[in-house]
Amino acid sequence: MSAADCEQQGTGWGILEDLPGDPMIWVLIFSELVAFGLFLGTFVVARAIHPAMFAAGQATLNSTLAGLNTLVLVTSGWAAARATKAARAREPRTTRRWLLIAMALGGFFIAIKLAEYAEEIGRGVGLETSPFFTLYFLLTGFHLLHVGLGIVILAVVCRRAEVSGVETGAAFWHMVDLVWIAMFPILYLVR
Amino acid sequence: MTMPDRLDVTWIALIGLALATILLPPLMPRPLLGNAVLLALAVIKGRRIALDFMDLRAVPALWRGLVSAWIVILLLFAWLASAVAALI
Repeated sequence: MSAADCEQQGTGWGILEDLPGDPMIWVLIFSELVAFGLFLGTFVVARAIHPAMFAAGQATLNSTLAGLNTLVLVTSGWAAARATKAARAREPRTTRRWLLIAMALGGFFIAIKLAEYAEEIGRGVGLETSPFFTLYFLLTGFHLLHVGLGIVILAVVCRRAEVSGVETGAAFWHMVDLVWIAMFPILYLVR
Repeated sequence: MTMPDRLDVTWIALIGLALATILLPPLMPRPLLGNAVLLALAVIKGRRIALDFMDLRAVPALWRGLVSAWIVILLLFAWLASAVAALI
């Protein structure tokens, strides 16, 4: 097949080309969804095996701060979606403004989560307190790392504010949002 | 003043659903029903994020289906596991 044939048939990503942004980010997104799904599934099974221990651990969590973080993250997702819309309209200044709002709210999410950790660690709770807290810290910590990585990606695409880059960064950011939407009730609310 | 578009409507809906998720638990003393309501709210939120923020509304059904299946299967599994633990 010649280079011209390849060009005619797209970039070689097949059906992944139908998705917004760089197809490679979707390979990462689907891998991350599988990883978080298995991790959360493990938590669910462990709770079914040790319901009393998990209920006792959950009762000490601050679900108000976690709920506040849900409001912060969905608002940040909205700002990222508005940035994508502005990038498609070729409005780089508006795009950057929305991306900065999304990143600032992401930073606020991290600050709230760290305050929550500080409160828990101050009470003497740690990774080895119980299997509940081991899974709780690993799951939320893994997610928090993705929030930090998402902010870095948004900062990188903010510089040029062109369509493909912004779509790529926003897609990753929405995945981080989606995972939190599932994680919040499973860890903090389901009894 | 511009009219709210689909993104704004989705954001307002997500804020409303998130507030309901925060405020409802004390009002639902029965865990099985309470868990079902909380997890159903999470499925609705996840679908809105996938369709409107991730922009999967206009892409082939395969991609919408995969992301929707992830959230539905995970949260249904969470409800079933809590139901089994409550009934044993």
